[in-house]
Amino acid sequence: MSYLEVSGVKKVYTTRFSTNKVEALRNVNFTVEQGEYVAIMGESGSGKTTLLNILAALDKPTAGNVILDGKDFSTIKEADVATFRRENLGFVFQEFNLLDTLSLEDNIFLPLVLEGKSVGEMKQLLTPIAERLGITDLLYKYPYEVSGGQKQRAACARAIITNPKIILADEPTGALDSKSTDELLRLFDEINKMGQTILMVTHSVKAASVAKRVLFIKDGEVFHQIYRGNDSEEAFYQKISDTLTLLATGGDRR
Amino acid sequence: MKNSIFPRLAADTIRKNGKLYVPYIISCIGMVMMYFIIHSLSRSPLVIEMPHGDNVRMVLSLGKFVVLIFSAIFLLYTNSFLIRRRDKEFGLYNVLGMNKRDIAKVLFFESLYISGISLVAGIGLGTLLTKVFELILLNFTHSEVTFTFTFSIEALLFTVGFFILVFFILFIKSLFKISVSNPLELLKSETAGEKPPKANWAFAVIGLVLLAAAYYLAVSITNPIDALIWFFVAVILVIIATYILFMAGSVALCKLLQKNDKYYYKKNHFISVSSMAYRMKRNGAGLASICVLCTMVLVMLSATVSLYAGSEDIINGRYPRDNMCGILYNDMSSISDDQLDIIRGNYKTEADKVGAKMENVLDYKYASIAGLVEDGKTIFDPDSTMGALNGYSNLRTLMFMTADDYNKAMGTNIKVNDGEAMIYTLRCKYEKPDFNMNDVTLKITGKLDEFPAIPDAQVSVTSSICFVINSMDDIKSLDSLVDYNGDKSLKYQWIYAYDVDLPDEAAYDLVLEQTRHIEIDGGSISCSSKGVERTDYYSTFGGFLFLGGLLSIIFIAAAALIIYYKQISEGYEDQKRFEIMQNVGMTKGEIRKSINSQILTVFFLPILFAGVHLCFSFPFLWKILILFGFSDKLFMILVTIGVFLVFALIYAAIYKITSRIYYNIVTTKSVDA
Repeated sequence: MSYLEVSGVKKVYTTRFSTNKVEALRNVNFTVEQGEYVAIMGESGSGKTTLLNILAALDKPTAGNVILDGKDFSTIKEADVATFRRENLGFVFQEFNLLDTLSLEDNIFLPLVLEGKSVGEMKQLLTPIAERLGITDLLYKYPYEVSGGQKQRAACARAIITNPKIILADEPTGALDSKSTDELLRLFDEINKMGQTILMVTHSVKAASVAKRVLFIKDGEVFHQIYRGNDSEEAFYQKISDTLTLLATGGDRR
Repeated sequence: MKNSIFPRLAADTIRKNGKLYVPYIISCIGMVMMYFIIHSLSRSPLVIEMPHGDNVRMVLSLGKFVVLIFSAIFLLYTNSFLIRRRDKEFGLYNVLGMNKRDIAKVLFFESLYISGISLVAGIGLGTLLTKVFELILLNFTHSEVTFTFTFSIEALLFTVGFFILVFFILFIKSLFKISVSNPLELLKSETAGEKPPKANWAFAVIGLVLLAAAYYLAVSITNPIDALIWFFVAVILVIIATYILFMAGSVALCKLLQKNDKYYYKKNHFISVSSMAYRMKRNGAGLASICVLCTMVLVMLSATVSLYAGSEDIINGRYPRDNMCGILYNDMSSISDDQLDIIRGNYKTEADKVGAKMENVLDYKYASIAGLVEDGKTIFDPDSTMGALNGYSNLRTLMFMTADDYNKAMGTNIKVNDGEAMIYTLRCKYEKPDFNMNDVTLKITGKLDEFPAIPDAQVSVTSSICFVINSMDDIKSLDSLVDYNGDKSLKYQWIYAYDVDLPDEAAYDLVLEQTRHIEIDGGSISCSSKGVERTDYYSTFGGFLFLGGLLSIIFIAAAALIIYYKQISEGYEDQKRFEIMQNVGMTKGEIRKSINSQILTVFFLPILFAGVHLCFSFPFLWKILILFGFSDKLFMILVTIGVFLVFALIYAAIYKITSRIYYNIVTTKSVDA
């Protein structure tokens, strides 16, 4: 049994004022092993965001199952969803989602405070992470005072400080310049090397080329996937790029 | 660009932002209406013709002025809410190719619509309500005047003129805002990151000191005259302190809490405390305004309701009998006892003429003089009594009555020897064993529980010490004192008061007849009839109550509107934050709880402070009401508590309604997410 199992996931939206049904996900199947680094690619409207919302337990699939480390999402009670999310999942968002009323340190502490950890414990957890992410000197600054890359690093720190089972990243490089993007991707790679499972949704080829495997979604289904294997980043970049071209020009299904 | 598009765009803006504009327009209408009503009433023939209408008109003119200033400030304040929320829309127009001149045109039409609607609706409603308020006012002041329909052109012109000026200023203010900003700023102005609030400790401490000073004034002042003077100082101190404390003190408190790791890093405090600091920074001024408005309403209502409801007590205290004849004379020898007997006989004859019987007769005479009582001696020097303001707290009215007269008036049998006195004190204490004035020393042999001339003493703003002595000869040396006009300082007064079974008017006629023919060398004659005085009191106190009620309605409406705008603007600000917290793993319940506690604090802080302000204003109010002859402290405490409870209920209702709007905004997902 795999670490994360997504089987037969389907999501149908009904618009409020009509009987029109929109099928965002048709039939998604894939698995992720522990410690893997997977990127999900696809064009706008392919269902990436819907899939991520379902994986984040923010949304429920119309049909199919999501099982993380043996825990079936559909068995989690509504009241426990938030707690489940907090304890098992870490999030990195395109727009950082830092609270502007809190200093970076307090933003990182937020999930721990919710768990009821003591100040001493929180500081102990933060020190090594802040050092590795290079934000030790920024901890007392507020989001409005730091750059996008720095904000995203703080957001990463917030995601990993709870030691989650999986990190879900939604276009983490979307709002960053190329230098910050490079830094962040290196950071992700490093985090992954520490054994952290990462699942990243992106349409940046560059971001995807750092991952170990890339899934391509089209029209609500996993259309194709490629492994990096022993390829260099550059070679993998080329492969992904080719696949995208194929997808865009309407290559047949595998 | 076709010119017809601007009026349409302006109308669209108003229609689409109903949540913001509707309350604003309603408040504009309300302000126009209130001003128009008060102005109409002050010109109403009904008010002019009613007995003692002058009192009411004076009170109304005062109110006119207050409403004028208040509505200008208030509309400026609420308008700034609108401008802030609307910036984005104008930024969009700008990006879409409208230049600033075009936006100015849209703004112009918008102002035109709003002022047009406000003036027409405000004056229309005002005309109708003026009739209603005329009826209420007549009822409050116990007047009976025939009712006619009137419309004051003067009120119309003043109202239109004044409010057009206000709307014009608002228009210019918006234009200015647009002209100095660039489109990108306008687009972003709502989402721009904000510096964390800094605690301004100096200000926080100043606020505390000012508040403490005002409170100290309130509790330490014992003299009504001082109270009247210092009340306004205290009011200003409290207003300034409230603004400083809400704006600087609250942030400082949040920062202090944030420094305490053990307190701050707790699930229930973490989010609340940190966002509270921001909330207070942005809305401190709004909250302080709410608090000041609430306090004003509470103070006004408890004072005016107490006065009005206590009118009967005040009147009975001042006029213990239906009719009262008083003779004031300078010299003891002006009137002999025989003369008094003749006058008494005349009184009876006049009463017999109209077939009335004088009952419960109160018949006493006394001498009185004012002096500074300090350190065991008494100073009558006119310069020092009239000169020093702070001397008021030691200024006393001294009253003297012979034991014979006292016993006759009270039906008692007390005995006082030469050089001795028994005393009664009003609103002050005198504990020394003897009393010195000039070369006279009176040994105090006891205290009395009653004194016939209390009504006369109560009218005076100063505290009184009343002496019962053996003979007026004991204080003969005071006879030579003169005041700065050269008049004699020591005056004698003879009061003859009685109940009579006649209608008010007839009783008044009787007392006029009785006193008409009296002639005393160097003396003056006064008379009064309770029924007539009652009308006077009711027209004044009723006018006060009416005005207090009217202003309270305006102030409550204003406070409600500020709260409403505060909730809306906070709602939009919190929308994004709410989403982030959910993403980070807070449950809806946890978020709701945290927001609830913030809202509750923010909401009930003003009324809590207003309550404390009210408590401390009570000693002031009490002393000022004493000047009106009010004497029932327990009654006033009850009225004050009652007013507070009713007000708290209204306030809670406003909270319920506006917080629902807040939740609706917060729980809809923000559009740009």
